[in-house]
Order: sequence, then C-alpha cells, then structure tokens
Amino acid sequence: MKGLIKKDLYNLSSYKMTLLIALIFCSCFVLMDNINFGPVIFSVMLGMIALSTFNYDETSKSEKYILSLPVTKKEIVLSKYVLGVFSSVLGAFLGMAITIVLVEIYNMVNTSSAISYSIESLLSTTIGSIFGVSFIQAIQIPSIYKWGAERGRIQMFIIIVIIAVVGVLLGSLLKGVDVSTLTKIFNQYGLILIIIATILMYVISYKISLKIYKNKEY
Amino acid sequence: MKNAIELKNVSKSYQDFKLDNINITIPEGSIVGLIGENGAGKTTTIKGILNISNVNGTIKVFGEGHQKKEKEIKEKLGVVLDDSFLSFYLTPKQVNSVMKEFYKNWNEEKFFTYLKEFKLPLKKLIKDFSSGMKMKLKIAVALSHAPKALVLDEPTSGLDPIVRNEILDIFRKYILEDETRSILLSSHITSDLEHIADYIVFIHEGKILFTLPTSELLENFGIAKCNEEEFQKIKKEDYLRYKKEKYSYEVLVSDKTKFKTKYHLQTIDKPSIDEIMLFYVKGCKE
Repeated sequence: MKGLIKKDLYNLSSYKMTLLIALIFCSCFVLMDNINFGPVIFSVMLGMIALSTFNYDETSKSEKYILSLPVTKKEIVLSKYVLGVFSSVLGAFLGMAITIVLVEIYNMVNTSSAISYSIESLLSTTIGSIFGVSFIQAIQIPSIYKWGAERGRIQMFIIIVIIAVVGVLLGSLLKGVDVSTLTKIFNQYGLILIIIATILMYVISYKISLKIYKNKEY
Repeated sequence: MKNAIELKNVSKSYQDFKLDNINITIPEGSIVGLIGENGAGKTTTIKGILNISNVNGTIKVFGEGHQKKEKEIKEKLGVVLDDSFLSFYLTPKQVNSVMKEFYKNWNEEKFFTYLKEFKLPLKKLIKDFSSGMKMKLKIAVALSHAPKALVLDEPTSGLDPIVRNEILDIFRKYILEDETRSILLSSHITSDLEHIADYIVFIHEGKILFTLPTSELLENFGIAKCNEEEFQKIKKEDYLRYKKEKYSYEVLVSDKTKFKTKYHLQTIDKPSIDEIMLFYVKGCKE
C-alpha cells in the first residue's frame, strides 16, 4: 500500500501553487477577522486535491496496470481512504496552525487593534471541517468507483442535494418537537459524536467502495 | 517439462464479444506468441491471466491457481500493458521509488542500468516521452525485479523497426539468462514473433484456431498455387484453407513436401505468419 500512496503523492506534487493560494485566502480572512475560515479552507482544499488522484489514474489509465502489481484490491481501495483522511485532517490542523501564526504576527504588528481568538472555538471549527470534508469524501469515493472520476462528480452532487433535501424535510418535521434534550446531549457529547460519526461514515463508505471495485471490470 | 502458465477452458462474455473456451499452455523456458487481429481476444486473455478481469475456467500460473496465490504470483511476473501504466505524471526516478515498495525483489541498480541503456532521462515527466520511450520504460520496469515470466501485451505496437528490434533483443537476452524463464507476448505485428516465438497461438473472434511451433509454421506450411482443374483434384483433408483468385486458386497446406509429392505441383511458397493468418480469416475450408 505504501507504493500506491507514494504514487499518489508524487502525482499531487504539482499542487504547490494551490496551497499558496489557500494561504493567501487564509491571510485575507484573518485580516477580515474571520479567523475560523482557516481550517475550513485548508481541509476542503487538501481533501479535494487528494481525490484528484482518481483523475490522474483515469488519464494514465493506470487502474489496469495497478491491478497487475502485487497488491490486493483491498489495499488499492484502502490507500485512497488513507490519503483522503490524512489530507483532510492534515489540512484542518495545518489551517488551524497557520491561522494562529498569522493572528499572532498580526497582533505583534498591530498591538492597538489586536484580534482576539479562542483555541477552543478554533479547534471545534477544525473538527467541524474534518467532519464536513469526510462527509463529502465518504460520498465521493464510492461515486467515483461506480461512475468514474469525471461522471462521478455529477452523481456525487446529486446525492448531496438529495441528502440535503431529506435533511431539510426532516428538520421541518421536527419543528414542533421539543429538541432541548437533543441539544443538551449534543452540547455535552458533541465532539465525541462527531468523531464517531466521521469514523462510521468512512467505514461504511469503504465497504461500499470495495464492493463496487471488486465487481468492476477494467 | 513444467508449465509457467496454463489456461484451461477459459471463457468470458461481454455484450458484443465472447472469449470461447480457450486453452493455452506456456511451457517453462519458452516464448509463446499470441497473435490475432485487433479485438480478437488477446488483451482479454491477458487480463484473465493477471486477474484484472474475472473469467470462467482454470488458470494456473507457476502451478498455482491465479486467484488463490495472486500476490505471490504477481511478485514473480513482469507485466507490460499496451495502454496502461503506473502514471504518466511521474519521472522515471519517481517510478523507481514507487516500484521498490511493490516488489520485494526490486533491483534499483538494474532499473537504472536499463534506463541508461535505453537512454531514458531520469527527471523528465513520462507524459512528455515519445511512445517508444514510454514502452522502453515499461519494459525496464517489467524486467527489474527478476521476474520468472513476462506477460507482455503488444509490447512492440507503435514502435519503429529499429526500436522493435532492440526490444526483441532484450527479450531474447532475458530468456538466455535463465532457461526456466518464459514469455507470453501478444502482438498483431507477426513478423516480430517469427523471429522470437517458439510457439504461435492464433486467436480469432475469441476462439483459438491453432497452437503450433513457429518452426513448423514457417518450415512445413506452404501455399500452393494451382488452376481450377488441379484444385478440383485436391482432397479436402489435404489442405487447411483455400482462396479463389481471378484465374487461379491458392491453397494453404500444413505439410508442403508431402503435398508436393502427392499432387506434383510446382509452385509451393513458404508463407509468412501474416499470410497464414489471412488464410484462416479470409480463406474457405469447404
């Protein structure tokens, strides 16, 4: 599996410019006092970049060749998830770290109008962004395996729209219901719940991807 | 003699194509050429051997079931696929760093020696390579982990005669280094196989039409030219296929010496594998 990840990382090594753009965006948001955007921008960007390796595989037609190497189908699918999880987590924490550094520098220069921030709120944004990216990845990876990197994108958006509509409908159904207990539970165990949900989404998504991949013909 | 690769009653159905109960044996130490026109089933056969696509029937590689011991088998196989490679967005140097993670026996030194021999740049992206350079790189990768057998899908297609010759020389050298090594090589450029293959397997519309030693095809087969009267005298069992020209007949026979003595025909030419293929595809039997 190390070989597969190495191959993807080499494929992605041309994305240095994109990271620079993310850094510029991040600085702009910090200057505009929207410091919580840092982790979001970086995790979304890195998370999406990681999945562009599927496009590289498609243009090089490497799926067939990879299957001729001494790796199992499980390892092939798992490597994409490892890369996906790693990039969104790395992106989120990198975004958080960069934001803190930028704010500190800003505060050192402008002592009169210093930006105040709390590590806790930044951390919850970081976890939140990982959750968001993992949600998209958990849908996107099986879609790509099913329909291909190009077509999979359209299908993925359709699935996300469907989930959003179902979510809104459920929300409207719950309007009259007293959700105070739910809110209480969420406030107390929110972080753990989000982490469990993220892991669960990835596991289910991986199982689906593997099933699709095993039946796929190249 | 042991067999490196064995296919028994292998079938595969697609919407518009069927690989129909094929049997192929690649004995240890031999080079087997798989010939046939585009879409005849060569790549499907190779994909079956490599378990890239699921096929029905039995496939054994180095005496083991090709799915049961897949990883171990693939460690010992060198593969070249015509239209597919690791990635075209890598440099050969990066290919080395990736491939050493896949193969336990990866020989870095050998790989770089091949790159030098093939005059391939180390730090240029593969996508900017010519098709000859790409093929040479694929071959260098296939040979750099001391494989016991090579499975090569169209390794000479799209290359000029000089490069093709160089590549065929590499395969000859590979077999000479160790006589237990074997090669399965598919190609539609049959002249390449005349020089290198010990056996020729001819596949047409998903069926195997013949499996014969190359020497037999080239030495014993013959094309007899005769007129209508002479043709009528020839018994059906004495020829394989015939073609009717404007004023004459051309007959493909499997034993030209025997045929010549029996029918006293003067013009019997030595055919090329291309001509034999054409007779099988375009000629008539009845």
